[in-house]
Amino acid sequence: MENTLEVKNIHTFIGQFHILEGVSIAVQPGTITVLLGRNGAGKTTTLKSILGLTPPREGTVVYQGKEIQGKRAYDIASMGIGYVPEHRAVFRDLSVGENLKIAERKKGDLESKADFIFSLFPDLKRLYKLPGNHLSGGQQQMLAVARALVPDNKLLLIDEPSEGLAPILIQEMMEAIRILSATSTVLLVEQNFLMASQLAKYFYIIDDGKSVHEGLMKDLVGDEELIYQYLGTSMGSTGGKK
Amino acid sequence: MRLKELWRDNRMLIILTVMVIVLTILGLTGMGTQSFVRTALSGLTLGSLFFMVAAGLTLIFGLMDVLNFAHGSMFMLGAYMGWQFYTNPTFLFGIVPLIAAFITGMSLLLVLQPLVVRWKLSEERQKQLPRLLNVVAVVLSFIAVRGVDFLGLADTAMVSIAVSATDPLAEISAQEPLGLFWFRPLLLMLAGGLIALASARPGDKTHSVDKSAVRKGWIGFGLLLVLTIVLVLVRESGPVAVLLMNGNLRFLLSLVVGTLSGFGLGVAVERVLVRTLYVRPFFIVLMTLGLSFVIREVVQLLWDPLAYQMSRPPAFSQPGKAPNLLAWFSGNNTTVDIMGVTFPSYRIFIIFLGVIMFIGLILLMQRTRIGMIIRAGVQDREMVEALGINVQRVFLLVFALGTAMAALGGIGAAPFIPVKPEMGDAFQMQGFITVVIGGMGSYVGAFIGALLLGMARAFGDYFALKLSLSPAVAEASTVIIMVIVLLVKPSGLFGKKE
Repeated sequence: MENTLEVKNIHTFIGQFHILEGVSIAVQPGTITVLLGRNGAGKTTTLKSILGLTPPREGTVVYQGKEIQGKRAYDIASMGIGYVPEHRAVFRDLSVGENLKIAERKKGDLESKADFIFSLFPDLKRLYKLPGNHLSGGQQQMLAVARALVPDNKLLLIDEPSEGLAPILIQEMMEAIRILSATSTVLLVEQNFLMASQLAKYFYIIDDGKSVHEGLMKDLVGDEELIYQYLGTSMGSTGGKK
Repeated sequence: MRLKELWRDNRMLIILTVMVIVLTILGLTGMGTQSFVRTALSGLTLGSLFFMVAAGLTLIFGLMDVLNFAHGSMFMLGAYMGWQFYTNPTFLFGIVPLIAAFITGMSLLLVLQPLVVRWKLSEERQKQLPRLLNVVAVVLSFIAVRGVDFLGLADTAMVSIAVSATDPLAEISAQEPLGLFWFRPLLLMLAGGLIALASARPGDKTHSVDKSAVRKGWIGFGLLLVLTIVLVLVRESGPVAVLLMNGNLRFLLSLVVGTLSGFGLGVAVERVLVRTLYVRPFFIVLMTLGLSFVIREVVQLLWDPLAYQMSRPPAFSQPGKAPNLLAWFSGNNTTVDIMGVTFPSYRIFIIFLGVIMFIGLILLMQRTRIGMIIRAGVQDREMVEALGINVQRVFLLVFALGTAMAALGGIGAAPFIPVKPEMGDAFQMQGFITVVIGGMGSYVGAFIGALLLGMARAFGDYFALKLSLSPAVAEASTVIIMVIVLLVKPSGLFGKKE
């Protein structure tokens, strides 16, 4: 089957810094693929390069058979790619409802998706009228994911959904991602190895701006040496970041 | 618990309200009702004008980090346009068809693009051709505007217009030979077309072309062409019709004309000048500063470096004093009695205009999708873009909206301050101070800040006079307020951006 997303050897510069020096990823439809790697390895930049927020200078990005590198970010997003940034960039001045509504690409998107979204994150229904800056960290993270579900997105780029969440919320978030992966393809960046290993089918390891390893997640879980080499010791067993 | 939340969310407003109440009581007892009301009304008038300038500045800065140093020029230009339309619209009716013709020509871009990208041109030629076309376009525009008559068109028949012989406004000298009459817009349309051709990337096969845009392009071109022809046809009769209009209606129309010209100029400036420089914000500061000089020089060229006084519309110019605001509606008096104070009725209109604009802005920002996008964009532009929203288009709208508000402020101010090339400078300065006090990007902050400054100026003037201090005290007071606010809250009263 044709890959939903195919990133071939992209190079991205931020200012004069050569951040990505050849990243290649393929994401199969209907799967969860995770990007692993140390802090600063270029995982977030990879997501931003796919979306055109930091356009790659070289290489190609093919989404549903079309080359999208070099297009404007809003054009790429409009093709059906949802983005959940790290640090949960919810709009503080907008209410929860407005945060969802702003993501509509056509009128009625939110209405048709509301039931699904509130079944995943029941809290949001209760908080609907509250401004974004009144939410707790966990609620903001839920909102950021929910926002990406409002339009018909075929591909979701989710950056560290577990960051800073309490263990109980991590469980809830994992469950939500598992459910939504039934309807859309997911490319995940995750530092929490435990979460990544339980969710993802495929993994890519990014190190120093290059994609260095790929394979099935279940193979990686047993490969202590590889985990140690690229992800550091603490990753393998306990999960947790730092 | 609820009280605590209320306090947290509206701390600033609560503190300010308490301060206003305390100061009002102090003022009423210390100054006497009459002088207090008079000074407060003057402050409101000034504050209202400051707000009209600051609202655009704060939105533009908050959303796109652009410090628009040409904002005062837009204020000034709005005043000129409105005043010109109100007193003698001939000039505007003469120039608008030319601009429309030029834009009509440029609208051919969408139509031309699919044709010219297929041209076979070497890479060298691909660079040279647009340059050549642009130069030719500029030369053509120059010929059109200066009206260099090398075809002997001046000898063609004069335009016949249906103006009654008794009409004192008809002037023979205003008439132009029929040939020139059509020649100038035609030439400008051609110039616009050449610029469209140059920007259509001739020979650039790699540029993907949107076929569906061609239809839209033709429709747009057709509409603009009709508009241009109509504008050319009414350019002789239009001014007469406007001048024969009811003075109040004419004034309302001149508000619209001033605002629209601000909007149009905003669109042009964002599109042509600002857009290319977003990556270098500092250059935008220099560019807009330069632009303000250019605008001033052009204005001096067109209108001479003089100060004009726009007469108040009839609704505010009947002699006598209305005993209250309601009586003014039937009497249309120059002054109104408010709590025993005789106050010019036109200044009440300015206050009204500022409040209307504030309410309009609240509705726009809180009730519409575009307002939602602007509020979100002030915080996180990138995320808005990542949702699939064309932020660039929102920028264009906000920039034009901001300059339109400044222009409306200018024409609103024209009947009580002299219309001259420097009229916007002081307001721009106060506008910047207002924005800093209110908090970058917050239109509520701009409103409160503008009121604060207006009051400070008015009461500063009052006390300077009373205590025989230098009037500079009033001017300094605004800066002192800014310093205090910045010391207490560096992001401004309602600022969220760091």
